[in-house]
Amino acid sequence: MAKMVPLEEGYMVIPENPELPCRLIGSYSKAANKTYFPIRKLCPVTSEPVETVELSPIGELYSWSFIMMPKMGSREKVAGYGVGQVDLPEGVRIQAPIDGKMGDWKIGMKMRLVPNVVVTDSEDGTQYCGFKFTPV
Amino acid sequence: MNRDVYVIGVGMHRFSKDHIPKRDLYFTAGMDALGDAGIKFRDVGALYNGYIGGGMTEGIGFAKDLGLTGVPVTHVENASATGSSAFREAVWAVSGGQTDVAMAIGYDDMRLMGNPMSQPPKGKKRLPSMENIMLPAGFFAMWAQRRMHENGTTVETFAKIAAKNWNHARHNPMAQRRADHEVTVEEVLAADMVAYPHTAMMACASGAGAASAIVATEAWAKKHANGRPMIKVLASQSQSEHYGDGHIFMGAVVGPAYSTELTGQLAYKEAGLGPKDIDFVHVHDAFPIEELMYYELLGFCGAGEGDRMVADGETTFGGRIPFSPDGGLIARGHPGGPTGLAQVWDATRQLRGQQDKFQVEGARTGLVHMMGAGSICIVHILQRV
Repeated sequence: MAKMVPLEEGYMVIPENPELPCRLIGSYSKAANKTYFPIRKLCPVTSEPVETVELSPIGELYSWSFIMMPKMGSREKVAGYGVGQVDLPEGVRIQAPIDGKMGDWKIGMKMRLVPNVVVTDSEDGTQYCGFKFTPV
Repeated sequence: MNRDVYVIGVGMHRFSKDHIPKRDLYFTAGMDALGDAGIKFRDVGALYNGYIGGGMTEGIGFAKDLGLTGVPVTHVENASATGSSAFREAVWAVSGGQTDVAMAIGYDDMRLMGNPMSQPPKGKKRLPSMENIMLPAGFFAMWAQRRMHENGTTVETFAKIAAKNWNHARHNPMAQRRADHEVTVEEVLAADMVAYPHTAMMACASGAGAASAIVATEAWAKKHANGRPMIKVLASQSQSEHYGDGHIFMGAVVGPAYSTELTGQLAYKEAGLGPKDIDFVHVHDAFPIEELMYYELLGFCGAGEGDRMVADGETTFGGRIPFSPDGGLIARGHPGGPTGLAQVWDATRQLRGQQDKFQVEGARTGLVHMMGAGSICIVHILQRV
């Protein structure tokens, strides 16, 4: 199976075992008792140090839309794709593409984080991934 | 502010979907403002260039067309709030005593801006950035969707706001979208879907353009009033983000709603005024959900009451508080760098009573609001004195 790697380091963990969930990497501030994504250099509320944490892979759909415009950085016409905001249990809201079509989504539904293959290396087959959510 | 500041000149190059050389855009808007003020470029003591696209020192290169006077030139960039930021820098340059006359020129061609592919280290692959995964159309649409879920706002309400702004732009010679007929709600709803619930006619017009404003001390304003009312800057406020529940850090965002609320309150306090004293408003209406929310966040109605304002026609000419009298981002257009300065262009001319068929009758005080990538909010209040 082709190897999946994040587009950029420091945002997400993609386990080699596909049975294990993909997780985002965030920062926890003990001083503020708040979690942030992506990782912060310092707590934005208290300016105290933060620790790096992996976030829950399942959250709740806060809002969604279905977009008919080319994706960021592209001018290619698209058939449409979903985007959503998902609230994770740690109190973090994530914006990302979502799987499905118009009519599939309802605010409050459970969503799971999965890798989103953006570029595949034509030489070694490596899949460079962002992330997206899929309905549970 | 330390010293009183006045807008003494404004200028524009019409916003357009055509590709116009940026150098020409810049020169036209700059000369128009200098002519409006009745001054020469050598009188300008500080120049702030606002543009998002463009290469290193592009703006200072264009400024050479206005003259080689040794004037300090600074490039300002704050996404959609670029022009507003350039204006604010000019205001503070005068207020703080750096110079008696300062100028801001904003220009851009939105469609020539680069894509957000990350620049890789040598030998690494060129890949998209994790930070720019979503178009603004997406997150504004999600704001609209959430509003519909929480408040029962209808798609028709969004269409009414868009149609209003299209119709406001019909008589604005600087607007990118000038319909040859009264735009209807049905037309707006029937346009291609961009990002549900927003259609193409609800999305801001993306194009090219330029706008400029010149600010000065009271003495200069009096000298160059030329029989026109003087336009005083009563408030200049800006806020970046504070942390809030559901805060989104990644990429450009809608921004926390309280950014507008807080910046507006600071501006009202500085001006010694409240929403009841404002005669018209310009906002970052890239999509109608924004204008709807700003009715409430800027204090023109209570939370959840914006829909009623739309239904009652309170935000158009003849209504209680006209919003986007020149067509706003939706119809006047949104090239990027000049957008905030186009608002100042219209606000100044509204306060002078120069806007003819899109004049807000009796306008004495205007509020001008802009967001930049959801991360910066700027509010100015201008008044005819």
